[in-house]
Amino acid sequence: LNALPGRAPRQSIRFLPTPAPDGSGAVELVATRVPVLADHPLVRGPRFRKLKIGAGHRLDVKASGVFVLGIGHGNKLLTDLYNCHLTKVYTVGGLFGKATDDFSDTGNLVEKTTFDHITREKLERILAVIQGTNQKALLMYSNIDMKTQEAYELAVEGLIRPMGKSPPIITAVRCLQFALPEFQLEIHCLHETQQYLRKMVHEIGLELKSSAVCTQVRRTRDGVFTVDDALPRMRWNLQSIQEAIRNCQLKVETELEKTL
Amino acid sequence: RRGLGVAAGPPSTRQLREVDGAAPVFQYAGKAAKRKDRVFVWGFSYSGALGVPGFVKPDASWKKPRRIQPTPYRLETEEKISSAACGYGFTLLASNTRDITKVWGMGLNKDSQLGFQRSRRDRTKGYEYVLEPSPIPLPLEKPQQTRVLQVSCGRAHSLVLTDSEGVFTMGNNSYGQCGRKVVEDEIYSESHLIHQLKEFDSRVVQVVCGQDHSLFRTKKGTVYACGWGADGQTGLGHYNITSVPTKLHGDIAGVNIIQVSSCGDGCLAVSDEGDVFGWGNSEYLQLASVTDTTQVNVPRHLPFKIGKVKEAACGGTGNAVLTEEGNVFVWGYGILGKGPNLTESAVPEMIPPSLFGWSNFSPDIRVAHVRCGLSQFAALTNRGELFVWGKNLRGCLGTGRMEDQYFPWRVTVPGEVVDVACGVDHMVSMVRSF
Repeated sequence: LNALPGRAPRQSIRFLPTPAPDGSGAVELVATRVPVLADHPLVRGPRFRKLKIGAGHRLDVKASGVFVLGIGHGNKLLTDLYNCHLTKVYTVGGLFGKATDDFSDTGNLVEKTTFDHITREKLERILAVIQGTNQKALLMYSNIDMKTQEAYELAVEGLIRPMGKSPPIITAVRCLQFALPEFQLEIHCLHETQQYLRKMVHEIGLELKSSAVCTQVRRTRDGVFTVDDALPRMRWNLQSIQEAIRNCQLKVETELEKTL
Repeated sequence: RRGLGVAAGPPSTRQLREVDGAAPVFQYAGKAAKRKDRVFVWGFSYSGALGVPGFVKPDASWKKPRRIQPTPYRLETEEKISSAACGYGFTLLASNTRDITKVWGMGLNKDSQLGFQRSRRDRTKGYEYVLEPSPIPLPLEKPQQTRVLQVSCGRAHSLVLTDSEGVFTMGNNSYGQCGRKVVEDEIYSESHLIHQLKEFDSRVVQVVCGQDHSLFRTKKGTVYACGWGADGQTGLGHYNITSVPTKLHGDIAGVNIIQVSSCGDGCLAVSDEGDVFGWGNSEYLQLASVTDTTQVNVPRHLPFKIGKVKEAACGGTGNAVLTEEGNVFVWGYGILGKGPNLTESAVPEMIPPSLFGWSNFSPDIRVAHVRCGLSQFAALTNRGELFVWGKNLRGCLGTGRMEDQYFPWRVTVPGEVVDVACGVDHMVSMVRSF
């Protein structure tokens, strides 16, 4: 960043004594444009020494996926985005038959169970119930009086969302793949932590009268940022970062205007 | 080899596999695990209608009596219940079995609507309130062959439909709703009398109780009615009492009716072609689309252009129909389900499917059944979810809150809801476990 051409040093107008052009010895004051010494690169030093980087919603060590960072003035946008309370989409992979203490496949084994009685229909039924109870929680935590016409209209459009602090709420779940003992779910949620998602996988296992551990948690969308906008490891260099910021600016602005 | 000075660290794959192989495997449910059928009840419990004696008379001194059960509560039954009906403070549960005991009743029994329940303390007297599901003895000719198909409850009378022995009626008969001649000054409490009705043009396939009248639908598609007729709910062309089931004419003569519904003083019928017919009370704009009178005593066709109707449910002041596409239309008066602003409508208004869980994410959710209580509505989706809305009288909606519900709200039931019966202040649902 420091190698980029910085702005030109400030120029100021000073009255400098110069010997008179006719060589008579008298000193005249002529106004000349002179670069201010204080602005000289050697005096000022490198332009950027520290960068303020802020992180968006937390991502676990064991999880992967989209992670939003704000740089410099972008940190102010981060708080605004947080107040928008947009949903995040995760791809969660699970494995039936095992139960561990930290709900993931690298924890200490607690129990092993059979799972051959589990079918895709049973799983989808459980997911429907989870969605139903979370839908209720969505309406309850949004702090809208249920008796008003406004509440009814928002409920029809599906726009009711908790706009303040709330426990984790799942807005939609879908089963992407099902091949015993493995399965993959797509979860849309609000205010959650990755450990909560792993616990959810464990609870799904219990509800199906078996047990399950979580093998993979990957965030595929965080509000407006999707996997396509995200930069993979290979592209963590200045040009890609600048390009990505430029591409996302418009999306972020429209989303903020819509919500606030 | 781990020495004492080496830290544990995250377990390596090899360690995990070793632990995995050595652990025993537990089995909680085998491959042939069947889904159990359960009954859930909720609402006002002091009448005994919920069938849980612990709510009315707690078995331990530190327990307090529970006046209202605000969320679904599981009721233990001896047999698998195939049909349930809620009346005004009492409930009937029926099973499809060939055993001798086929019908159980609980709740108010002041008019013998649950038959004669012999008191254990005095063998000559009967119980006025039945707190537990108690068997109802039916005078069947072949008790080990006949099956009970359906039960229905009105304000103070009940009907039991069997497959080969006609319809049994019990309870209050002051308006002839039990299908027998009205006896003046008859005392209905502690009565052993259960009347049997067999004279219909073909086998009866559905029985429905309104507040003080009864409707019978036969296999041929005809409808019979008896009982109170002051609002025209018997549909026989007059406003008097009928004490013998009589065939209805009017707009439904010759039409093959596939479903009849009634809860208060109005009635709705659906034909096989998807047309809706109504008669009875119209004080709340239920039939205002065809007539201005407040009582209609002949069945009239309701010309609604909402598509082919699959099911209708007639409530006390509001009605609901379900079309073939799975949309619910409501009209009438009261809390109709479209927010607090819509309190009355003479023409059917559609409830947006997004309120029942339909979205771009799950586009195949459809409403499968609609049921009505006196001032509540219930809808069942094809995913087995139960949505209720309407006046929350003594907690009957089962949402856990005491406030009225102005738009469809999910009831959390641990299982897939197969059927629901709505009464005035309580509801019973038949649920299949996961």
